[in-house]
Amino acid sequence: MRNIVITPLAPIRISVEAEILSPDIFAPLSMEQICGLDVWQGNRKKKISDLFRVVGDEGPAKPEETALRLEGDFSRVKRIAEGMTAGTVDVTGSVGMHAGNNMLGGKLSILGNADDWLGREMRGGSIIVEGNAGNYAGAGYRGERCGMRGGEIEIRGNAGAYLGEHLCGGNIRVAGDAGDFPGAANQGGTIFIGGSCHLPGAEMTKGTIIVNGKAKVLPGYQKLEIVTIGGEKYQKYAGDLVENGKGELFIQAGSS
Amino acid sequence: MIIRGGIVYDPANGIFGEEMDLCIDGGRIVEDAKGEVIDARGLLVMPGGVDAHSHIAGKKMNTGRIMRPDDSRLGTEPRSGVCRPSTGYTVPNCYAMGYRYARMGYTTAFEAATPIIEARHTHEELEEIPILDKGALTLFGNNWEVMECVHDKDIAKLAAYVAWGLRAARGYGIKIVNPGGGEAWGFGSNVKGLYDPVPNFDVTPAEIIHALAEANEMLRLPHSIHLHFNNLGKPGNYTTALETLEALKDIKPSRMRQAVHVTHMQFSAYGGTSWRDFESKAPVIADYINRHNHATMDMGQLLFGAATTMTADAPLEYGNARLTHNKWSNHDIELEESSGVVPMVYSRKMLVNAVQWAIGLELALLTEDPWKVLMTTDSPNGSPFVNYPEVIALLMSKPKRDSEMATLHAELSKRTSLGGIERELDWSEIAIMTRAAPARILGLEDKGHLGFGADGDVSIYNLLPEEVDASKEHATVKKALATAKYTIKSGIVVCKDGKIIATPRGKTYWVDAAAAQADMDRLMVDLQEKFERYYSVQMSNYAVQDVYVTNPKVIKAGIGAEPLKEVA
Ligand SMILES: [Zn+2]
Repeated sequence: MRNIVITPLAPIRISVEAEILSPDIFAPLSMEQICGLDVWQGNRKKKISDLFRVVGDEGPAKPEETALRLEGDFSRVKRIAEGMTAGTVDVTGSVGMHAGNNMLGGKLSILGNADDWLGREMRGGSIIVEGNAGNYAGAGYRGERCGMRGGEIEIRGNAGAYLGEHLCGGNIRVAGDAGDFPGAANQGGTIFIGGSCHLPGAEMTKGTIIVNGKAKVLPGYQKLEIVTIGGEKYQKYAGDLVENGKGELFIQAGSS
Repeated sequence: MIIRGGIVYDPANGIFGEEMDLCIDGGRIVEDAKGEVIDARGLLVMPGGVDAHSHIAGKKMNTGRIMRPDDSRLGTEPRSGVCRPSTGYTVPNCYAMGYRYARMGYTTAFEAATPIIEARHTHEELEEIPILDKGALTLFGNNWEVMECVHDKDIAKLAAYVAWGLRAARGYGIKIVNPGGGEAWGFGSNVKGLYDPVPNFDVTPAEIIHALAEANEMLRLPHSIHLHFNNLGKPGNYTTALETLEALKDIKPSRMRQAVHVTHMQFSAYGGTSWRDFESKAPVIADYINRHNHATMDMGQLLFGAATTMTADAPLEYGNARLTHNKWSNHDIELEESSGVVPMVYSRKMLVNAVQWAIGLELALLTEDPWKVLMTTDSPNGSPFVNYPEVIALLMSKPKRDSEMATLHAELSKRTSLGGIERELDWSEIAIMTRAAPARILGLEDKGHLGFGADGDVSIYNLLPEEVDASKEHATVKKALATAKYTIKSGIVVCKDGKIIATPRGKTYWVDAAAAQADMDRLMVDLQEKFERYYSVQMSNYAVQDVYVTNPKVIKAGIGAEPLKEVA
């Protein structure tokens, strides 16, 4: 395994666009080449070494043999692990917006929190967040008809609004609560919410949403039977009938 | 400037691939010049490309941009050199329109549809499109004043209104879209055919089209009426196409040109009774065009992939939205039009889309005279204009068409005649369909050719026409056309090796047509009442002011005007 550790030289106040923080970009390069990569901070182009200390094993290596460790606070660093296909990225702190965008494979682990658009339009691989995630985790970006299409997102804390909007495939699991409109306009995939949420599955045409806590259900949903999943009893609904949808919604029985 | 040794295709002047030098001075083609020498030895040289039908500016385009932030992401290019940032693919920003046309060797493009009341917006965007010369056609086919004049059979007053409307819109010519249908759409319906009366106006689409064609010729406008048929986009609509063409046979053009230009014929050459038995009727349409001389058309070629449909044919867009479950914008434009926008993806796997793809090509290949059929994609309805090189490569190569067809639905060969067409267009025919003919059809006498006095717009491609076999080497052809070696606009090199190096400001053409004062006086009585009773703006604020058209090229026409000089 080729290990590379990246640490901010000073607290980052102005946002950095760092789509290069990915095993795919680092793997084929020498340490010197990596330190020479460009990043944008605000409207200024900088070298990665102007903002971060980058140390690690000399390359090249394959992406699947490359492990990035991001130590410290990356909450103002955007697009970490964008489009990664293999390898691992471990973050000890929090990450900024658009982490794991368009991810295809590999594993992104975040010990802190993730900002908005975590794993948006991802197609494969896995993301684990120990803390909370912002809005639009696993969603499609503005105007897209398809959000996440494959892979896994696990959020051990809470998620914000529009979790998995336009989801077309893959799995999202939130241990805590989700905000408003999880699974809006879904066309596939599965969302599990351990806690409560508000108005799940608006305009869902296909896919599955399971809510372990409380949820207000939209009037476009038809109440069906009580079912048992993993020993727990759930009220099953079908919808969203506004869109002639074939989606399935399960809410913990007796909770709503 | 001297362009040395190119293999020149200038069909309007009878030059079909001759090695010759070209001289440009003062922005025009001249006999002799000094200065910069451009080495074009052996390379393909043509007049700058002219697009007679494209959606490049105005409210529909902007609605498309607003609806499609996803599209914006598909074409981002950062600021570099003289270029401002570009965004978008099917609905690019204004700058990208200019850069991308110029990169392909195009120097002129006409916006296809603007209601008078929205013309100010169109010009604001045209002003921001760099490099290109441009113009905008003005919508008249669903206008209340037009329909009232038609009802009263008052062609003189109608001509006065067209003249007034073109001046108010700073417009170039008469565009007619699903005449009557846009008005019917205000009541949730459509006109079903040429003789179906428009609600509340007691006129038929046939009467609207014919009267506007008469007014067009009464005003001696440089362009003919520019017509989007009724029933467009529906299976079996080829009969409407033929009926409409027949109904215009008696129109006598006031100039040496067609009496009607039919736009995006691909969408009107459909057979079958539903999408299930949908088939091509392109051979029937092409046969009609071959046997008659009053009509020209453009292809409206459809290509697989992303598109954004945008048209004043609002009921059509309602159908598109219902069919695709996609986003839909619907718009009612006061007394003038309705319109709609719907994003679209044309799929290779869909038989219907494959048949549509074949129909455009059949139309171009079965029409014997290339002067009668223009290469367009009705950008961005059939495909964005950046894909013109793909269309040209298909027209020039039977093997390319065959290999494409092999990837499409097995049923396709039963639904179209494309597989049996051997014809491969040559560079002369391509130069006609993309340069000479669009200029002639629009009535642009300084465009589309390289005779002395013509605009100094030239495209030079990195391709040796005497050595490259376009049939076999279609990939080379496509690549060369996508990135011109040189694009020269009014004598300035704007693009070199596919890179934009200068962004001069282009002209905006509009037509100032004179009408008889007595008719204008009668018209004003009508218009004053309409503005008082119905319009959301006052008449004094309605017309596009000159400040919105800072580099105009005004073509004089109308009653009593000097007869226009004929184009080459
Ligand atoms: Zn059009």
